[in-house]
Amino acid sequence: MTWAQLCGDLCVALSACASVMFVIVTAERMRDPTLEAEQKAHALLRAWLSPEQAQQYNSQKHFDVIGSDTRTRYRIRHGRMVNIDQLDSAGNRVCVLCVVPEGNLAASDCMLAQKIALETFETKALAIANQRPA
Amino acid sequence: MATQIVMDHTGDTRHQFDPADAGAVAEAERCFKELTGAGFTAAMRLGDGKSKVLKSFDPTAEETLFIPRLQGG
Repeated sequence: MTWAQLCGDLCVALSACASVMFVIVTAERMRDPTLEAEQKAHALLRAWLSPEQAQQYNSQKHFDVIGSDTRTRYRIRHGRMVNIDQLDSAGNRVCVLCVVPEGNLAASDCMLAQKIALETFETKALAIANQRPA
Repeated sequence: MATQIVMDHTGDTRHQFDPADAGAVAEAERCFKELTGAGFTAAMRLGDGKSKVLKSFDPTAEETLFIPRLQGG
């Protein structure tokens, strides 16, 4: 076996190892958050909700936020994606928004990130969000 | 004790530090810069459901939450 063949085989082996590692890491990141993660995120969300939002979430599994720039009302439903309703002044759904933090986060973490985004940097969040008709 | 909370796939990871300890504050500031430099948004809880985004490290913040970069879903 020549050095060239040896180096070639080594490269193939390293490439295969890298591919396996990539698949393992990707699978780990794509796995649904654990129950423990959901519970931790839920406790964090609770601590950051206003009393009114907490009460609304307890009874209806959603809570409303007011946009920091336009004063528009949004309804954040329990979920990780496509869970924000933009409401009109009568409370009717105008459209559905989807903006989520990167990473495979628990639903409550996503909801808290959405709440903070809409309540503190609404315009920037809307520019990032995907919008769907009601 | 002040707390830095980083949202992640485990729910969150927390780092506590003593605001009176200069070394701990410096380390907390280094973490703040590293996370915000990586695209995280830092928010401070004001109470009663209100919060504000921190553009720079605030050693007086009792609780700072780091949110991963937002993306359209």
